[in-house]
Amino acid sequence: MEKNKVLVVIPAYNEEENIQTVVNEVDKTNSMVDVVVVNDGSKDETLEKAKLTKAKIIDLPNNLGIGGAVQTGMLYANKNDYDIAIQLDADGQHDPQYIEQMVQKIEEGYDMVIGSRFVQKTGYKQTFFRMLGINITSLLIKQITGVKIHDTTSGFRAVNKEVIKEFAKRYPYDYPEPETNMKMILKKKKILEMPVEMRKRIAGKSFITPVKSVKYMVKVTLSLLMAKLKLKEY
Amino acid sequence: MIYYLAMAFSVVFLLFILNLVKKNKLDEKYSIVWIIFSLGILVISIFHDWVMGIALKLGVYYPPILLLLFAIMIEGIYIVHITITITKQNKMIIKLTQELAILKEKVEETDEEDDKR
Repeated sequence: MEKNKVLVVIPAYNEEENIQTVVNEVDKTNSMVDVVVVNDGSKDETLEKAKLTKAKIIDLPNNLGIGGAVQTGMLYANKNDYDIAIQLDADGQHDPQYIEQMVQKIEEGYDMVIGSRFVQKTGYKQTFFRMLGINITSLLIKQITGVKIHDTTSGFRAVNKEVIKEFAKRYPYDYPEPETNMKMILKKKKILEMPVEMRKRIAGKSFITPVKSVKYMVKVTLSLLMAKLKLKEY
Repeated sequence: MIYYLAMAFSVVFLLFILNLVKKNKLDEKYSIVWIIFSLGILVISIFHDWVMGIALKLGVYYPPILLLLFAIMIEGIYIVHITITITKQNKMIIKLTQELAILKEKVEETDEEDDKR
């Protein structure tokens, strides 16, 4: 069998402190994969730092937000005929040693593999608001689809060619993970939640505040409820 | 008195809109609603007796409220139309940004290959 072409998509917004370490680590642990950094209109030196690595670089002239950035990676994967795309955060939370296992699972026939921090107990500590968000979205998805996804907000995911094509065509702009997870369930895709150990971000700060959390919850709840209605359009 | 004010307003507003179109600051397709709107106000303020009659028939005892309701409804519909337009444009901008960035990557890659030769 011919080897599958694998692309690791790293969306990066103001990650000058982490981007080099993250790309180099992916490169070291997975020599066979291509890496693309999608610089999402960063205001710091992310672009310059990324250029020092072996990664291909897509430099968005505007800040599109996480959804637009990830979709750019999917568009790139689709245009360049990749078989598997893996989304990995630029902050170092996702351990690239799991990539090989994720690729294996896709090759075994799964459409999407979610790196999940809850399937098994891991050492990762959550903030209160993050937990609340995950619990509520998880419950909503369970109620609507009957399928339980534990880590609904995980940005560490692998998808196969078919899903790459779908994501390239349509991908939500804000808080895309829970919505796309639900959409994949509704479209009867084979989804696997794979236990991974998440790490603390290497440097810098995460930006979850109470006000943002409330906004997040309202938007995500709405998007999940609407996703079911919108499904016919896809 | 209020009807003369409304008449004056609608005429000035209509001229303002037409002038914007003339200066290419407003697309014709967006001006249509405003032209109809100002003509509507003009007609209503001239034939305000009708408004009085319709209002009383509908059980509205203070006729200007009917005008207000009419105006708010039209503007509500128009604002929805505008947010639809913004959503559409937003999607177009995102698509353009993505395609441009991917092209940029391709051009740089090709340039590098040329340099190596």
